[in-house]
Amino acid sequence: MKRRAAVLVAVLLVVLAAVLIAYRVVRLGYPLVPTASIKVWQLSIETILGKNEKNLSLRMGLPVSRGPITVAEERIASGSLTFNLLREGVDHIGIWAGNTPSTGTLVNYRASILVKPVRTFGIRRMDPGAYPVSFQEADQALVSRLAARWQRLPADERIKAAGDALSGAWGQFPLSEQDRISWEELVPRVGRTNALMGLLNAAGVAARVQNGLILMEGVTRTPIRWLLAWDGTRWLHMQPDSGAIYDRSLVFLPLTNDDIPPLAATGAIAPEVRYNLSPQVVSQWIAYFDRLRTPDRILNRWSLFSLPPEFQATFRILLLVPIGALMVCILRNIIGFPTFGIFMPVLMALAFRSTGLGYGLVIFGGVILVGYIMRLLLDKLHLLLVPRLSVVLTLVIGMFAFLAVVGYKLDIRELMSVGLLPFVILTMMIERFFVIVEESGVREGIRNAVGSAAVAAITHLILHIETLQLTFFVYPELLLVLAALQILIGRYTGYRLSEVLRFRALHRNQ
Amino acid sequence: MTWEAVKWLNHFGILGMNGRNADYIMAMNDRSAFPLVDDKIITKRLAEEFLIPTPRLYHVIEHHGDIRNVEQALGDRREFALKPARGSGGSGIVLITDRSDRGFVKQSGAVISREDFIYHIFDILAGIYSLEGLEDKAIVEALVHPDPLFAAVTYQGVPDIRIIAYRGVPAMAMVRLPTRASDGKANIHRGALGAGIDMAKGETLTAVHGSEIVHVHPDTGNPIAGITIPSWKDMLLTAARGSEMTGLGYLGVDLVIDVAEGPLMLEMNARPGLQIQVANQAGLKGRLMRIDEAPPEIFATPETRVTWAMAAFGTDQRR
Repeated sequence: MKRRAAVLVAVLLVVLAAVLIAYRVVRLGYPLVPTASIKVWQLSIETILGKNEKNLSLRMGLPVSRGPITVAEERIASGSLTFNLLREGVDHIGIWAGNTPSTGTLVNYRASILVKPVRTFGIRRMDPGAYPVSFQEADQALVSRLAARWQRLPADERIKAAGDALSGAWGQFPLSEQDRISWEELVPRVGRTNALMGLLNAAGVAARVQNGLILMEGVTRTPIRWLLAWDGTRWLHMQPDSGAIYDRSLVFLPLTNDDIPPLAATGAIAPEVRYNLSPQVVSQWIAYFDRLRTPDRILNRWSLFSLPPEFQATFRILLLVPIGALMVCILRNIIGFPTFGIFMPVLMALAFRSTGLGYGLVIFGGVILVGYIMRLLLDKLHLLLVPRLSVVLTLVIGMFAFLAVVGYKLDIRELMSVGLLPFVILTMMIERFFVIVEESGVREGIRNAVGSAAVAAITHLILHIETLQLTFFVYPELLLVLAALQILIGRYTGYRLSEVLRFRALHRNQ
Repeated sequence: MTWEAVKWLNHFGILGMNGRNADYIMAMNDRSAFPLVDDKIITKRLAEEFLIPTPRLYHVIEHHGDIRNVEQALGDRREFALKPARGSGGSGIVLITDRSDRGFVKQSGAVISREDFIYHIFDILAGIYSLEGLEDKAIVEALVHPDPLFAAVTYQGVPDIRIIAYRGVPAMAMVRLPTRASDGKANIHRGALGAGIDMAKGETLTAVHGSEIVHVHPDTGNPIAGITIPSWKDMLLTAARGSEMTGLGYLGVDLVIDVAEGPLMLEMNARPGLQIQVANQAGLKGRLMRIDEAPPEIFATPETRVTWAMAAFGTDQRR
């Protein structure tokens, strides 16, 4: 009877969650698999302009949503200057202009950059454009003659051959002496980039120049320039000086096209600009939902994404706690792990997020061991319970401080984040461990300690699955499903796996 | 293999932890009745009303301030047992057999200084040994002198008998025999032996040490099986009355046999463990289900329940 009621409640919860999720997916267009390979980068372009500059103008190429790139959440700080956005062709040029005060001023541009893989739909023809302006008629004839020999090669091989040619490697198509001299004269005259462009044009490959950044974590002061070459299905990125083709896995963020400089300043000494790129996970969703947002829908307005980012981070962690609790239910009630305390492994698992599993377990073992020895010594002093626990707590904090300093000296970040371990719980655990060892022996104490560590480790590994974290953040109604599972485990009255072992003496003797 | 084992456990009516908690403790034991068995002082008082003999209570220490007066309260008693009122599984119990200039002589022969003794009382009051870590009381009661019945299969300590009663019907019983490994304590987790008891005859069966079946006591070498417990029926009656006394449908009753006073009830437990099944090499669930199927008239009095149980759960009718 009770069991049927429990199953019914569980089913209702699951149905309710399914309805809410279905509504989000069908009506609000949420992605069903929330982590469908989208990467988000935080781009920050920042510069401090000197004091008392007059009639200053700073022009910066800014990223534009195009191809695999989506730009969201743009924020601009212009200090005392005025800001204007200029559209030149497909490019967006930000122009900061005015006078700077005596303190100088900070100019800042921030955006979230989303990268989505672009699907390619078979081969598409793209005609080469005009030759670079610095090319004379003789030059055009020369590159046409040079490229003619690659005529029968497929596009990507023609691109590679042109790139090699720029560094003087003509491979299986040797060059006449006359042509070699003409080519070696042409390259320095028009510039390596233009020479390569011309060669690609002549080879029937559409090519253009872009300026921008490669999406990699780090800070750079100058955007780079690259050459795009169309191989029939996609753009290849080439190094304009060496002609080498960039690795296909790199993602490029164009800031300006062709000869428009990504950064220019007039009326001031060239300012030092920092381009800062960092990969981000949380705001991936903020950015994604920037485009989906239909604020008239109640579920969207009540989404966790409507929280300010600093609070979102808290909820990303908090939403993991019920998953951890479910893990504890499974590991204790179905598998039968012995643990100190009920939810202590969840807190440990969360702490392992910053210390890492290996260091976390070592710290856990070390703190319990040292704590136990100290507790043994303290026992001789005959302290009353609460002050005694306080002493152990003080000791635990002392050990944390020590580990943090050791971590700093050895440059081990994981040790420095030891402070996130649940110290009160560790203190109580030392006391529990001591009492269990006193009363039921060392074996029982170690069994409990190992059980706790194992549950914490397994829970940590589950919580570590990023897809899971994001899924819960996007669909908090999954908490209902968790509650349903917890209810079902609450009515699981079958054997625990550990009991199969426990009663093995019976089995053997029947 | 695991699945086979699970099927086997089911077939033999073994009760698991989850089943015990959900189907028996939660279903049969009213939360409000727990304090009656969790606090030994209340249990003792209740037992008196129901004419169930328990070790004599000498003294209760409730407050830190009372600790100073302990020695005065002890008077010239040379032997007694100090226990936490809300302790479980025998934790925090100290058995004193004599006093000397240096302090108190424990049953093991070790001497505990007066200072250590007081410290231990402080620990008890602080709740270290209590079930939920709540503040506790300490009790001083008469020391039990175990009947020599089990002397041949006991290493120090006091052997005790655990009977599980379900709806007032004794379902299964075992005797816990201290060993050297258990440090003279009748605690199975520490290495004490658990020997099953034939419900009809009150006769010991083979024992379990850890998860091994043993036939002789590891320290004394004497055979464990075949010891007949005198006044067995009285003990079963005590267990059967325990249900009326506490209102608990699923109850563990711990008894000892004192050489002078006979069977004494030490404590009752609202969450008795499952190790008793290993000691008896029999499943508890099977027996509990048979009790559920028993005709209603057998539940009338403790006597009818005990008579039915003895007929139903003897070794001849195993399982």
